[in-house]
Amino acid sequence: MLTCLCAVLWHLPAVPALNRTGDLGPGPSIQKTYDLTRYLEHQLRSLAGTYLNYLGPPFNEPDFNPPRLGAETLPRATVDLDVWRSLDDRLRLAQNYEAYSHLLCYVRGLDRQAATAELRRGLGHFCTSLQGLLGSIAGVMAALGYPLPQPLPGTEPTWAPGPAHSDFLQKMDDFWLLKELQTWLWRSAKDFNRLKKKMQPSAAAITLRLKAPGF
Amino acid sequence: MAAPVPWACCAVLAAAAAVVYAQRHSPQEAPHVQYERLGSDVTLPCGTANWDAAVTWRVNGTDLAPDLLNGSQLVLHGLELGHSGLYACFHRDSWHLRHQILLHVGLPPREPVLSCRSNAYPKGFYCSWHLPAPTYIPNTFNVTVLHGSKIMVCEKDPALKNRCHIRYMHLFSTIKYKVSISVSNALGHNATAITFDEFTIVKPDPPENVVARPVPSSPRRLEVTWQTPSTWPDPESFPLKFFLRYRPLILDQWQHVELNDGTAHTITDAYAGKEYIIQVAAKDNEIGTWSDWSVAAHATPWTEEPRHLTTETQAPETTTSITSSLTPPPTTKICDPEELGNGNGGGPLAPFPTWVPVTLALATAAATANSLLI
Repeated sequence: MLTCLCAVLWHLPAVPALNRTGDLGPGPSIQKTYDLTRYLEHQLRSLAGTYLNYLGPPFNEPDFNPPRLGAETLPRATVDLDVWRSLDDRLRLAQNYEAYSHLLCYVRGLDRQAATAELRRGLGHFCTSLQGLLGSIAGVMAALGYPLPQPLPGTEPTWAPGPAHSDFLQKMDDFWLLKELQTWLWRSAKDFNRLKKKMQPSAAAITLRLKAPGF
Repeated sequence: MAAPVPWACCAVLAAAAAVVYAQRHSPQEAPHVQYERLGSDVTLPCGTANWDAAVTWRVNGTDLAPDLLNGSQLVLHGLELGHSGLYACFHRDSWHLRHQILLHVGLPPREPVLSCRSNAYPKGFYCSWHLPAPTYIPNTFNVTVLHGSKIMVCEKDPALKNRCHIRYMHLFSTIKYKVSISVSNALGHNATAITFDEFTIVKPDPPENVVARPVPSSPRRLEVTWQTPSTWPDPESFPLKFFLRYRPLILDQWQHVELNDGTAHTITDAYAGKEYIIQVAAKDNEIGTWSDWSVAAHATPWTEEPRHLTTETQAPETTTSITSSLTPPPTTKICDPEELGNGNGGGPLAPFPTWVPVTLALATAAATANSLLI
């Protein structure tokens, strides 16, 4: 059962210093965000391999195909094809932002428990990159004038020491976290591709006027 | 007063009645169908005849030697495919047909070979199967697709009988797909299953309509264009990247270029006057594997028309351009797949982040250098 306190994330200040990309519109920052997802996916591939080996069999077996039980609070990337296609830009970005906010929290949890220095190093680096991705998405949203999603009062993820969790179940949670991370990174690449294509005509010719409050 | 019916006519009528009677009382049964395993021994009984009944056996109308008989039963040893046929046993004296057996010699099915692929992501994927060895008798296949605990429909391909298609309901799923196939025939049964993630089976079809053209007045250039495969449903949201390989026919080593955008590329380091073979492969930008290589395009770079030589004039410029074409361009060894351990032609390499800029930079440098020679 994964629970997580990430109050600090939800109250991130509005991302400053968009002036650099402001005149060119959101295009370059979408490209940057896309590039970050690719970099993270590349990082995750080796990190997940190491981590799964640390968990040991059956988690590191290629055919391991457990039913998805538990890990209900993990943000799921899976979505109906037609729904995904018809997402408006704001919702598309918001879903990405929310997902990575949660995922970052869980990865930080992994980092806390990680037994070896090598794992802690890898996880720490990954956390930093993931935080960078979050900031990048926030930047795109701000450039487009969308408000950052705020958690509803009472639904803020809080981390409390849950009921004693069997070792195996904890490892299952870790397994699903890595799986979901990987899938989200693939989905985000596709999401940002779609956004890139939509923004392309405007990024080149039109200067986006920033109307977000605070600018 | 009636004229007497000729005696012959009566006999014919009587014979006809007898045949009808005989047929009514021992009707021609449909032959009994029997499947037997290749290499085995089989004993064919003559229907319900006693063991000591006097019968003759024929296969496909040809008499069989009596030494194959065990009483009224036909014994065949070490069945071969040639033993398949219609066996009939007759009452020896009356030639009355007693029993027919349609014998099929075959094998039970071996474990089928099953593979699945998505060449139409995100619409769906298809699975194909075949048996590694023939059974020589009819087989039936049954395919089931599971996504977690959910059963999905695999629609039969209208044209190919060993293929079926599955439509994706959800994208970006962490749950694996499991495809099982069972095959059975009269002699046995077998099955197999494969499990995979949504992304791992993505492999587009090769690019289409690859065309290579010489560029006028450019003896070292070839312009290549192609189209995204028509089976890829949504290149806008799911863009493809491409891998181009080319070599002159006279050499074995390919040169490679990876292209993240667009469906055209100009080769700038072609050997002047040499015919080239060019192929392109495609891959989704982020997931899956490279397609097979496209159908090859052939082209020869533009060459200047030789000037008509007379005793008064010389042809200095054509001479220099010919000699310069023999010096290899500096980009030759850069992207040698052998050096990078790719072996031969298994498919394009997974891209390395720094590869493309290096190749393009050197190609540009070579082009600039060569343009000074001509």
